Amino acid sequence: MADNISRRERSGQVSLLAVFPDLEPAADAIDHLRTLGISDDQMNVISGIPVTEAMLGRPNQWTNVPRLAGGGAVLGFLGAVFLMYGVPYLYPYPIQVSTQAVIPGPPTVVVLFEITMLGMLLSTFLGVFLDSYFPNYRPMEYVKEVSDGKIAVFFICPEESREKFTKAMTALGAEKVEVAEVEHL
Amino acid sequence: MAGYNNNAVHKKVESAHPKAESHHHDEEHFREKHLMLDPLPRGQMNDMVMESMTTTSWKFWAVFGLLSVIVAVCLFYVWGYMISEGLGVTGKNRPSYWGLFLVNTVFWIGISHAGTFISAILRVFKAEFRRPFTRAAELMTTFGLVQAGFSVFMHLGRVWLFYWLLPYPNQRMLWPNLHSPLSWDLLAITTYLLSSTMYLFLPLIPDLAMARDKSTGWRKTFYKTLALGFRGTEGEWTHLRNAMNIFAFAIIPVMFSVHTIVSWDFAAATRPGWNSTIFGPYFVVGALHSGMGAVVMVLAVVRGTMKNMKYFIRPEHFDAIGKLMLIISMAWAYFFFNDYMVQWYGGDKWTKQLLHFHEAGPMGWMWFAMLIANIAIPWAVLWNPKWRSTPWIVFVVGLIINFGMYLERYIIVPVSLSINRMPFTWRLYYPRVEVLLGIGTLAFFIWLYMAASRLIPLIPVWEVEEGQMAHELKKFGRETVVSVSELE
Repeated sequence: MADNISRRERSGQVSLLAVFPDLEPAADAIDHLRTLGISDDQMNVISGIPVTEAMLGRPNQWTNVPRLAGGGAVLGFLGAVFLMYGVPYLYPYPIQVSTQAVIPGPPTVVVLFEITMLGMLLSTFLGVFLDSYFPNYRPMEYVKEVSDGKIAVFFICPEESREKFTKAMTALGAEKVEVAEVEHL
Repeated sequence: MAGYNNNAVHKKVESAHPKAESHHHDEEHFREKHLMLDPLPRGQMNDMVMESMTTTSWKFWAVFGLLSVIVAVCLFYVWGYMISEGLGVTGKNRPSYWGLFLVNTVFWIGISHAGTFISAILRVFKAEFRRPFTRAAELMTTFGLVQAGFSVFMHLGRVWLFYWLLPYPNQRMLWPNLHSPLSWDLLAITTYLLSSTMYLFLPLIPDLAMARDKSTGWRKTFYKTLALGFRGTEGEWTHLRNAMNIFAFAIIPVMFSVHTIVSWDFAAATRPGWNSTIFGPYFVVGALHSGMGAVVMVLAVVRGTMKNMKYFIRPEHFDAIGKLMLIISMAWAYFFFNDYMVQWYGGDKWTKQLLHFHEAGPMGWMWFAMLIANIAIPWAVLWNPKWRSTPWIVFVVGLIINFGMYLERYIIVPVSLSINRMPFTWRLYYPRVEVLLGIGTLAFFIWLYMAASRLIPLIPVWEVEEGQMAHELKKFGRETVVSVSELE
């Protein structure tokens, strides 16, 4: 815990945490931090409900999940194509069912659909893990009040301005402002 | 905590129109009725959910212990006995080689449909009443599919050779016949089981993080491990929201495909009573019919037995599900009659013989009981808003529907197989060890659910809070109405 803080302190910066009871003061605080020279990439917001970027006036978050889902769907489709179109010819005696062709149309549609969907959903799930770096059990900046509905704004500011930022956040309704601590979650 | 305090913080609602006296009465009425208009502080809701998981009475352990014995004996011991003795100890014989195991498979897959229906379809259509019970329904999907898988494995007989179904290269040059609906079953059920489990887990992560922050000891370790280090950053929520939207849309066709493929196990056979083009949607609607009945039963039990659940699960939810049950019952009646009518009108000798056997044969009581349970009773009860808002009444209707739907599957499988084009083989099917194994799967389903209710937050608290943020009362003229904002 102390290591993380001291590293920033050595560089003359400190990570502060301001806890707000509601969305409105948190959004005001973010606007005010910008006027004080803190850029968006020096801030992070954590919350117990999915607060959208628009609500807090924050830039849109990048996510790879839809792309990974699409990629998974393509991989699933290709796997199904191999299973249905390639594999029957790997065997000396392809299965003949009634009057159906060796590669029949309608059953192929069923297999293509199921494996494509499986590929898409698996990769969507894994996409959340990849994009969010899950599982992540390293010590991280966190405050438990977030679970109880508070909004926490983390930001990095110069060590010498700490007092100024603390006062500004308190004036905007922060319930507490303190040096952000990392903890094992 | 003795229970939830109905007069606690109602900041949003009170701030809307604090002066009007009549409006105040309206507000009280709305608060009492609608969870979304009766907000409590998030911390209090968290505590209520944690308390519901950690407060366990001796009655719980007594039922849990009894179920453990039933599962050990009826499921695992009897299954072991059947494996050692062979399928000869079952009632399966010529001409009914598909018996209770496949009835149970279809039944459990049907139960599993309601979870996705409630969670995904209602999420896509932004039906707000879904919020407190999506997880309770999703759990049913996963646990129902586990029982369906068990039932298929029982039917296999030599269960240790299940991997022969998988498409893997082998030196025997055998290859699963991917032209067969039975192979599609494996694909569809596997896809559905995996995707519904993932869909259960994703929205659970924030609640597991909440539970991690609120617990100590072994629970802390358990939730910490499962919460994966979730903090609730903007990025984490964005990834989660995107994934949940993709799942909600994509899992719906998967859900439809599963029971359609199960119906093709029958419909693809050129057999009277089975060879029907409408079997796919008929099975899907039947699955929803039994699944919704099961959801309402689970909710009534959870509400009645778990602490603080009366705050989260209210008569309004039974009312909403009751309406869905009524509509689905009508849809089931439509498909049933459509299927029946075309077969009856066709005039084929063997088909008419089978229809007559269904209605007037030795198992004819099942046919009439099925219609009474699936159509007459739901229609007679669920039209009434007061009745369908009463948990125990809807519980009984759900139970009756599930009885009726079980009979429907029984009629489709062993009863239909009892007669065929070779009268010298006609024979009624009488299940033997299958009955105990069926009881075992039912007990295991309840056992899993009871265990999960002590380990997993059954209420998605963050979804409830999000819904409460979106709802408010507005006044138009003299009328007070509920208004919902679209937050996403």
